Amino acid sequence: MRHHPSRDLIIPGPAGCVLMATALLAWSILFLKAEEQIPILVYMISGSLLVLVAALSDLHKSISATISSNESSWDKCMTLTLLALILIFHDDHYTLFLLGTIMVYATAVLGLNVQLGYTGVINFSAASFFGIGSYTAAMSSAAGLPSLPALLLGGIVAALVGCVLLLPVLRTSGHYAALVTMAFALLFRVFLEVNEWFGGPQGIAVAPLTLFGLDFSQDMQLWGIEFSFYVKYDLACLLLLVLAFGFVRRLERSWLGLSMDAVRCDETAGACFGVDIARWKITAFTVGNLLSGLAGALYAMMLAYISPANFAFPDSLLFLSILLLGGMGNNWGVILATVFVVVIPEKFQVIQEYRYLIYAALVLFMILYRPMGLLPRKARNYGRLS
Amino acid sequence: MSVLLSCTGLTMRFGGLTALDSLDMAVEEGDVLGLVGPNGSGKTTFFNVATGIYRPSSGKVLFQDEDITAKSPQEIYRMGIARTFQRSRLCLDLTVFDNIMIGNHKNLDFGIIHNLFKRRSFMAEYEDNLEKARSMLHALNPALAKRIHQPVGLLNMIDRRRVEVCRALVSKPKLLFLDEPSAGMTHDETRRLMDEVLAFSRADEKFTLVLIEHEMEVIRRTTNRCIVLNFGRKLCEGDYESVTADPFVQEAYLGTDL
Repeated sequence: MRHHPSRDLIIPGPAGCVLMATALLAWSILFLKAEEQIPILVYMISGSLLVLVAALSDLHKSISATISSNESSWDKCMTLTLLALILIFHDDHYTLFLLGTIMVYATAVLGLNVQLGYTGVINFSAASFFGIGSYTAAMSSAAGLPSLPALLLGGIVAALVGCVLLLPVLRTSGHYAALVTMAFALLFRVFLEVNEWFGGPQGIAVAPLTLFGLDFSQDMQLWGIEFSFYVKYDLACLLLLVLAFGFVRRLERSWLGLSMDAVRCDETAGACFGVDIARWKITAFTVGNLLSGLAGALYAMMLAYISPANFAFPDSLLFLSILLLGGMGNNWGVILATVFVVVIPEKFQVIQEYRYLIYAALVLFMILYRPMGLLPRKARNYGRLS
Repeated sequence: MSVLLSCTGLTMRFGGLTALDSLDMAVEEGDVLGLVGPNGSGKTTFFNVATGIYRPSSGKVLFQDEDITAKSPQEIYRMGIARTFQRSRLCLDLTVFDNIMIGNHKNLDFGIIHNLFKRRSFMAEYEDNLEKARSMLHALNPALAKRIHQPVGLLNMIDRRRVEVCRALVSKPKLLFLDEPSAGMTHDETRRLMDEVLAFSRADEKFTLVLIEHEMEVIRRTTNRCIVLNFGRKLCEGDYESVTADPFVQEAYLGTDL
């Protein structure tokens, strides 16, 4: 067998995970701290060059081997990296808001991944379900419901509306099912805009998250250090993301995930082996919309003000392009791609105006040359007892 | 031996095309039955009707004296009929193990708590099934058992067919439909595969097999009885020698001398 010299470069085991996470953290701090366009560009290019070198050499193999054989260390390292970023930027409203946005978007796209990546149920209205979560949280907390039940209700209502939409989706297939969800996404925005009760086109204010008497919309001081109120929201977003990630991963590594794959692969063959096609489509659609709705509800509270323009059809396409970019079915890919899609236009303002053009070009490029996405899904590993 | 599966007056029309035309036939327990006939004679349509993919225009299918004509593919699978497909319908990006487990659907525990939260008991179930799949693969091809965690897309044709056979057999069906196992394989590979399948069937004398095959050599070696279809009708039935001696069969299936 050929010897791979680069395979020795990475320290194996948990230490390797710590090392990689530290490098990632350092790069993220530099990138997020940078404010001038030139350094931002330099960091972006150097980062992409590093990734390119890893992808073209054998480095990526040893990285992914280290990660997959030390999964629980890697999970902890990534959680700690995010936690460290939140604490390092404790008084920087803008960066904290960006981090929070990444985490809620990633949660919503994890939901879309269950639908499209696992089960193959196309959903062009992911942002609408995200919006249903947002509006439910806004309306129910305005009606006097406490924050936590309002948050949960956001997820539940999104899941229930999804079940209603699923009736026509199940009766159609392929392009027609896609059209049903597109129509829903377009109708959803119009519905909000013409209903004064929902605040019309101007939108409505959302009451802040309040847990155990702790108001999430107030800055606070601890040990003489100023903490932005976004720190609290970011911690809530991180908790939601970690729970959603664990849930979605366990789903994949179970017979439930296997049946969802069977539905995506070949409905007829699956049916001949007892796979109940409708049951798994309903399960996947409901679980996905539940996650989108929860993410949307938390996002609305963090944003404090929402309008129909936040949940338009292009946003659904954005969610889909994140999934395509990251790699259908790969949950780490979802997180990586969300970071790209959310952070780059925010930091690199020059492209802000052209971002949809760039996303479109990127998606076309991916479909043509790398249809499996940045991080292609791996063969199922039912895993250790994690 | 008792009748396992029978159909009476089975007719399947697709628009103007009559794929099955009031077909009467019976499969007896322990049979290895060859279903032969030219392209478009209704062999695969019969499989699709009997496994619930199509609902017939008229007629009845009975399995163990129960009417299964209007049952769904899922219900029919649960009653003990499994099949393979003419064009291999495996999930190429899933592993060998995953593909086999899709066939084991009726024996898996789909409880949400069991699958997502009691991971210890789930992993115990997983290990049992892994062992089961591995020993089945080992019986067919020891080398294949070692590749149990690889995606099926990396396997060659005969190994894919083996995985398909395992997927169909893992749930211990009473009746197996094999749809053209020789498609895409050499004579030698087909012979090996059929020997492996027959070794399985000999282990259980009640095991029943219906085989669609164009290669008459395979039919001669494996079956104890044949039914010849033509234009959706039964042309004749009997053992290989008597069927191939039939002048109608020679004309319809083997062709006439010019």
